[in-house]
Amino acid sequence: MAVYKRTYTRYSGPLTDERWRFSILPRYTLRSVFGSRFYAIALLVGLLPHLIAAVLIYLRSHIDALVSLGFDIRELQFLAIDGGFFFTLFIVETFISFFLVALLGPGLISPDLANNALPLYLSRPFSRAEYVIGKLSVLLAVTSAVTWIPGLILFGLQTTLVGPSWSWDNSRLLAGILVGSGIWILTISLMALALSAWVKWKPVAAAALFGIFFVTAGFGTVSNAMLQTRWGTLLNLASAMRMIWRWLFLQESQYRITTPPWATMPAWTGLITLISVCGIALFLLSWKIRPAQVVR
Amino acid sequence: MQSEDRLIVFDNVSKFYGEVLGVNRVSLSIEPGVTSLVGPNGAGKTTLMNLMTGLLFPTKGTVRVLGISSSDPETFYKNIGYCSQFDAFPKGLSGYQMIRSMLALHGLSASEAEDRTWSVIERVGMTDAAHRRVAGYSKGMRQRVRLAQALAHSPKVLILDEPLNGLDPMARAEVIELFRKFAESGMHVVISSHIMHEVDIVSDSVIMMSGGYVVAEGDIQGVRHEMEDHPIQILIRCDRPAVIASSVFQQDSVVEVRIHADGRGLLVSTRNPDRFYELFNRIILQNRIVVEAVAPADENVNAVYQYLVGSNGVPPL
Repeated sequence: MAVYKRTYTRYSGPLTDERWRFSILPRYTLRSVFGSRFYAIALLVGLLPHLIAAVLIYLRSHIDALVSLGFDIRELQFLAIDGGFFFTLFIVETFISFFLVALLGPGLISPDLANNALPLYLSRPFSRAEYVIGKLSVLLAVTSAVTWIPGLILFGLQTTLVGPSWSWDNSRLLAGILVGSGIWILTISLMALALSAWVKWKPVAAAALFGIFFVTAGFGTVSNAMLQTRWGTLLNLASAMRMIWRWLFLQESQYRITTPPWATMPAWTGLITLISVCGIALFLLSWKIRPAQVVR
Repeated sequence: MQSEDRLIVFDNVSKFYGEVLGVNRVSLSIEPGVTSLVGPNGAGKTTLMNLMTGLLFPTKGTVRVLGISSSDPETFYKNIGYCSQFDAFPKGLSGYQMIRSMLALHGLSASEAEDRTWSVIERVGMTDAAHRRVAGYSKGMRQRVRLAQALAHSPKVLILDEPLNGLDPMARAEVIELFRKFAESGMHVVISSHIMHEVDIVSDSVIMMSGGYVVAEGDIQGVRHEMEDHPIQILIRCDRPAVIASSVFQQDSVVEVRIHADGRGLLVSTRNPDRFYELFNRIILQNRIVVEAVAPADENVNAVYQYLVGSNGVPPL
């Protein structure tokens, strides 16, 4: 054995905060998302309901002035900017955010698995959890742009136009926008990541995501009809989320008036459904996101 | 005896993948310098490397690199640079972006990462292709960029799985030279390779594996001398080989002598090379034999591999 002098020294300068290292991962992905014309158009389309809602809020608050100017928008005086308004808006955004996740999510983890990039990431001070959070942050950023961020802007717009008393009276809506959006975008993002980790081919992963969303919903409806039950509704993720939105935006009383008692479902059942989906997705991710693959 | 903070230590390490054996009861102390892992496919080389890099946890036993366990990832991974044997790159990134991202994961500031990225890209000769996507690189270029990401954060331990694959002869020579320089500066360079003559050139010590077990470790001459089942072969080129051949049989330890067809040399197999060399010196002085060369014929990785693993070192197809 040769005898060597120890002349080698490694980098010993200051390091960045390790809590934020996950944000390195989405850097290039987000740059390509916001740089792509296709994704930019998809985001704009996703923002359309909020743009329409902003116009309605503006018109509703200036209805008298506009009518005096000769605009025939009297019907708008029956429009209330309340829980029902935001409930309808976020039901639409439930679907739009899902489509955005289905476009973007399947391509996030599968290329890293196909190109053996995981050992590269994980042979650094970077854990599996940080890897998943890094990838998740891409979807959370994109879906936030069409859910709670414009939701808060609308809330702020209405407050500005009507006055702070409206904001105080409707503070529950603020919590609804934040909590409801958080639950939904987290659920669909984890689902998309889990499928991306398990299905290497991007179109198949996207198809599987749509399949889970729509086929289980159809299966739930058929189960309800055949078994004369209401529990099949829980297989429909959009319906499960609708139950939560309804509770958050104080629309349950309205719902109970229009729906027979045997068909109503409490919000907590929807919440449990979505938590279960998140749990399954996390389990699938922890199974698949491993630094070294074993070839048997 | 080296202190543990300068060694890579495997203490009775076993790794099983369910019922499949990865490595079994491995105890090693790897010193600074170039150490080569040698063995057929499925011998456990990559598992051993994955254990060293903390990518796998042992089923039994402990692995410590420079006295640090992978349970302290921040310190552990500062010291380790890893280059996997397979093509490995995040899709869509250029070589520059890939190396810079990896440095950022180590916690380097943007300006430090930028400087180091260019420095390491230059070192592996990839400056012109730095902004091209890795997916469009040739095999050799991908190998270089993989090597670059392993070197970029200046680790003390480089673990390189088949690092010479895909490199052209010039690049191989440059990379081997680079390994020697790293070793001379006190780094650990652990490589796995199937190319035996390059292992011979570059390695200070060898770990030979078969079926998940370490079958030999140490410097190759030392390993060879401990293999008493196989007599050591000594190649002699001289003007009168027949004289030497007739004289060396005085020793019981000489088991075979073969005279070369051209009559200008012979191959001696002996169980005690030290005693043979004493006798050999006497013979050539007494008989005034002109000796052109004396060299051990099987004190190399390939010969040891053949004896211990039972193959010529070429992985089975």
